[in-house]
Amino acid sequence: MSRADMSSQPILMPTRRRFICLSMALAATLALPGRAALAQGTVVDTATQFVKQTGVDLLGIVNGPAPLADKQKQLTPIINQAVDVDAIARFCLGRYWRTASPEQQKSYLGLFHAVLVNSITGKLGDYTGVTFTVGRARASDEGVIVSTTITRPNNPPTAVDWLISTETGSPKIADMIAEGTSLRLTQRSDYASYLSHNNNDVQALIDAMRRQLAG
Amino acid sequence: MPFALPGLRWSLAATLLMAIGLGGCATPPDPSDPDAVAEFRQNNDPIEPTNRVFFAINNGLDTVLLAPVARGYRTIVPQPIRNGIHNVLANLSSPVLFIDDVLQTKPRRAGDTLARFVINSTLGLGGIFDLADKWGWHAHDSDAGITLALWGVPDGPFLFLPVLGPSNPRDAAGFGADIALDPFTYTSGGAWQIFGWTRYGVSAVDARERHLDDIAQIKRSALDPYATFRSLFQQHRAQVIDSVRDDNRATIPAWFTPPGTDQDSK
Repeated sequence: MSRADMSSQPILMPTRRRFICLSMALAATLALPGRAALAQGTVVDTATQFVKQTGVDLLGIVNGPAPLADKQKQLTPIINQAVDVDAIARFCLGRYWRTASPEQQKSYLGLFHAVLVNSITGKLGDYTGVTFTVGRARASDEGVIVSTTITRPNNPPTAVDWLISTETGSPKIADMIAEGTSLRLTQRSDYASYLSHNNNDVQALIDAMRRQLAG
Repeated sequence: MPFALPGLRWSLAATLLMAIGLGGCATPPDPSDPDAVAEFRQNNDPIEPTNRVFFAINNGLDTVLLAPVARGYRTIVPQPIRNGIHNVLANLSSPVLFIDDVLQTKPRRAGDTLARFVINSTLGLGGIFDLADKWGWHAHDSDAGITLALWGVPDGPFLFLPVLGPSNPRDAAGFGADIALDPFTYTSGGAWQIFGWTRYGVSAVDARERHLDDIAQIKRSALDPYATFRSLFQQHRAQVIDSVRDDNRATIPAWFTPPGTDQDSK
């Protein structure tokens, strides 16, 4: 290899490389909107399908003939699988998550899990003859919001939106918004208020949750 | 006349004054903690200590009086009859609802209310049977608080009012306005007076019965029921106002092409 070749090489290479980079970037820019829209379409479809399937699974048990205690036992694994409980738990503790010690975080997560499952199975367990229809779905900052209408005998239909997040890799419920009231937002304001009346002490909240589960 | 209107206004005003006079104000958070400040703003509850006093009073009244009566009502009166009673009460509020729909400039909703009132008052035997719902004129709820919100009136701070419960200055004004808009407010005579008070009493029991399970569930699961009810009220109110604002259904039938529009445009 001659000196001239060696000196020309560094000049040629960047230009070629730059050209390749540029064309790739161009291709990416051109392709991006289409691909993003396509990806978003599938995400929305996946979330809708997930809500449909979870609803069918839950209502199959809720409307079934089993006694209350059995229903609650059968509901628990579905809820554990379909709901991103840890993410909801962290959201509900809000700014206090950072001030909690690792042990407190751990016991809080465990308690929150039990509280949430109790509250959902407690609510669903009493229901019978529940039907639901899945409506529109739209992408949001935090995931896909799927709208449903839930109807119980002798009750006006309830509009419930489900926030479906794919942060864990598979679709999971990150929030439930019933008639405009978000489950996690309401829970967070409950905890925040309790904490602010108990010296912002996370341990006080943990003890209260423990008492609640025992009582 | 169920309520002497000036009297009611006076008692509302007196209540507000008392709330301010008792002077319990929430302690603002440390301004150097942005999260705490954001939370304080979101709660929008500067007179929280006073509100909590009224919450405790209402909660006590509910526990010893309204909730037991509502439970008794549920036990004694069978569901179909309770539904009929609820329908009659809803039908009686139709005139106010209609005025609110009109003031909100929502012609389709006003039309629904009018059709429901005419059909249910006649064929529905004084409102007992909600035939209009079966024929496609579905019930909706509204009040002058929503009207004021659509007119751009800000809500103001959270208030927990004696007897009336969670509110804010805008909704409290709306509550007064709805009583003033109600034709039944201006009926007089002994029988009407009994009718008026009965209507208010039965409405309270009917509403409480319909929420027996929800409220019990909230009280069971909340660590701070006051904060939970406040949050639920604020979120729900915002959603109701948005849903009325977004209800822009067309008032003309689908088959009718308004003059001057292109036949092929639809």
